[in-house]
Amino acid sequence: MKIELKKFGTTLISRQNGREAFAALQSQLTTLGEKEDMELDFEGVITFSPSWGDEFLTPLVKQYGNRVVLMNTGNLSVKATLELLEKINQTSFNIRF
Amino acid sequence: MTEELITISEAAEILGVSIDTLRRWDKSGKLKPIKISEAGYRLYYRLQIELFLDNLFNLAKNWVLKNNDMPPNFYCSNSAVFQTRLTQMQDTLAKVADLSSIFPLIIAVAGEIGNNSFDHNLGNWPDVPGTFFAYDIHKRNIVLADRGLGIFATLKRVKPELNTDQEALRMAFTEVISGRAPESRGNGLKFVRKIISENPIGLVFQTGDAELILTKESSKLDIRPSTESFRGCSALITF
Repeated sequence: MKIELKKFGTTLISRQNGREAFAALQSQLTTLGEKEDMELDFEGVITFSPSWGDEFLTPLVKQYGNRVVLMNTGNLSVKATLELLEKINQTSFNIRF
Repeated sequence: MTEELITISEAAEILGVSIDTLRRWDKSGKLKPIKISEAGYRLYYRLQIELFLDNLFNLAKNWVLKNNDMPPNFYCSNSAVFQTRLTQMQDTLAKVADLSSIFPLIIAVAGEIGNNSFDHNLGNWPDVPGTFFAYDIHKRNIVLADRGLGIFATLKRVKPELNTDQEALRMAFTEVISGRAPESRGNGLKFVRKIISENPIGLVFQTGDAELILTKESSKLDIRPSTESFRGCSALITF
């Protein structure tokens, strides 16, 4: 399943919006296969910050582990945020280059 | 006028620019030193540098210190207003050619600082809720301020061992707090520090009676007592 993050907005910065996006995603996840990957595509996202990421990515990775695959992570704010979240949560994201 | 003299390196640090940039500004007349020392070094008044930064900062300062009026378009009463105006700033910065790769980082830094004000004061604003948020694309700076509880009061709830504004400010910018109890607490200011240490962005951050100056390649945190104390937080981002 591929999820285009830009559909949640191109400026992904606050905890509140991250929580809302996570809640909105739940209805889509009902169709995710048991072993299917969840591809999160950052294409089109302009600004991404740890607050949003912590409310959205952290719980997804906690639940689905390495099945959460991150794509198009070249934007500097995406890169920096992913690095910080990895450090905070002492984990590493499954990034597809 | 305070006549405290500072060196070119101190002036560069406050402005978030390189010493070479200040030398160029001297030659071009954009910002000239107050005098040259006997040894030939450029010297500036601290206040001269602070005023150069912007009047926006003074407007913010007078709001947090004295509850003076501010232009309505600088006031974000809630996080939705802040988010909208931040997105507008993003669109403006995106058009500046030499910021094309780093503007998302500038927005992320401003976003984390501004959202902190809302996240940590929601339901607890002592008087006026919301933030001051203004930017000057020509002078290349962003000013954020709030009349909230300040970092010391909010962090002390989860770290009772804290005793001063300076200790709280240091912890906010250095210690990764992963427990997050009892409230969802971000690590946004650690992110801000990391971004600034790797990019040509400067920050002057004040809370209570403590002030922090961060610039690219700041190896240690420069935290000092501030000249005036106030309850909330203020930030000046230069780029």
